[in-house]
Amino acid sequence: MTLSARASWTIGILATLMLAGIVHILVILTIPQNVTHTAYSDVAAFGPDRVFNLLPDVEPGSEALPALDPAMQHAVCRFQLADGPVQFTASIPVPFWSMGLFDSAGQAIYSLNNRTAGSETLSMLLLSPEQLSILRQNPPENLEDLIVIETDRTEGFALLRAFVPHEIYAPETETALLAASCRTLAS
Amino acid sequence: MTAPWQPVSETDYHTTDLPRILQPQRPAPLRSLFAIVLVLICGSLLGVASAYLVMERERPLAAVRMGPWEAYPTAGTADADPYSIAIYTRGAVIPLASGEGLALFARTETDGRRLDPACSYRIRGQTPTARLWTLTATDEHGDLMETMAGRTHLTSRQLLRAPDGRFDIIAAADAQPGNWLPLAVSPREGSGLIFTLRLYDAPVTTGAAFDGATMPDIERVTCP
Repeated sequence: MTLSARASWTIGILATLMLAGIVHILVILTIPQNVTHTAYSDVAAFGPDRVFNLLPDVEPGSEALPALDPAMQHAVCRFQLADGPVQFTASIPVPFWSMGLFDSAGQAIYSLNNRTAGSETLSMLLLSPEQLSILRQNPPENLEDLIVIETDRTEGFALLRAFVPHEIYAPETETALLAASCRTLAS
Repeated sequence: MTAPWQPVSETDYHTTDLPRILQPQRPAPLRSLFAIVLVLICGSLLGVASAYLVMERERPLAAVRMGPWEAYPTAGTADADPYSIAIYTRGAVIPLASGEGLALFARTETDGRRLDPACSYRIRGQTPTARLWTLTATDEHGDLMETMAGRTHLTSRQLLRAPDGRFDIIAAADAQPGNWLPLAVSPREGSGLIFTLRLYDAPVTTGAAFDGATMPDIERVTCP
């Protein structure tokens, strides 16, 4: 049995379009797994893991990462939860600062700014569900002052943004950003 | 009723009155193979090309529009659509998370014309409530460009405002009195222009409070 010329053309075009749709969806869905450099891997270029590394000033032609605000100074810290919970502390004397925790795919885990942090100094503990259940059994004394975040992601990075109102505050802000800590607690 | 007898001519003895679809046909394997290969090639090319075009646009689909301004509040969250995820991971872009603030992008004027880095613009009005905001001019890929002033941004703290809180910003390559947002001195041909307004610690990021939010208007002042 053979189809008429018109029917074969229609079926051919429909098949092409359906295949195009399938390929399109596959390409879009597999891009995140196949990108050669992610935000997580780019961030490794600025220094060792588990330390806040200062990013160079955001200036034309020398932007450390895409889409950063030139009015801010940034520090970034890569962490892995496999070796134990990670504690973040920061105290930055600027009118506005914020911190975002992102997983290795660049998705936000948690974010806060200096108003929502509740106090002048930030003290935050990031842990996996298993580490949280251990923590629950013997809670540390300063647990009330800690912001405790549970995540099922094993690695990621924290980005600290500090607003520099004027250049004269830049050295002070830099010092405070470098003094911020992001260390693995021995479990 | 029988049809009247027709003389059978020998000239058309091989034609049949069977409909075409029921007639036996010789198989044409080469032609079928060719057709299948053509469908496969065209389909794959079309799929890859359309995906590439969407990626190159660098604009997530789930945008919230407020006048000329666009925001992508779900970008970088678990609710993001697959296109936004692909665009953000491919560009290694770290979004402003919801607890930090909201970034709004303008690629067009209020009346819909594309922004041109050779022109000068007046950005006038009010922003939604925020503890701090910054306005940055970039090219269409989000890269900063060299300006005459050495800065590429303006913050809400340096701003001169009218008594009612409204402001008037001139975005131009040459120095301007009042609030001046410097644009690129020598923009490349077709480099495009995007204004990025980043609202830090703003209530609009933490809820569907986009309705009724007032955003500044963008009007063209002069063009060469």
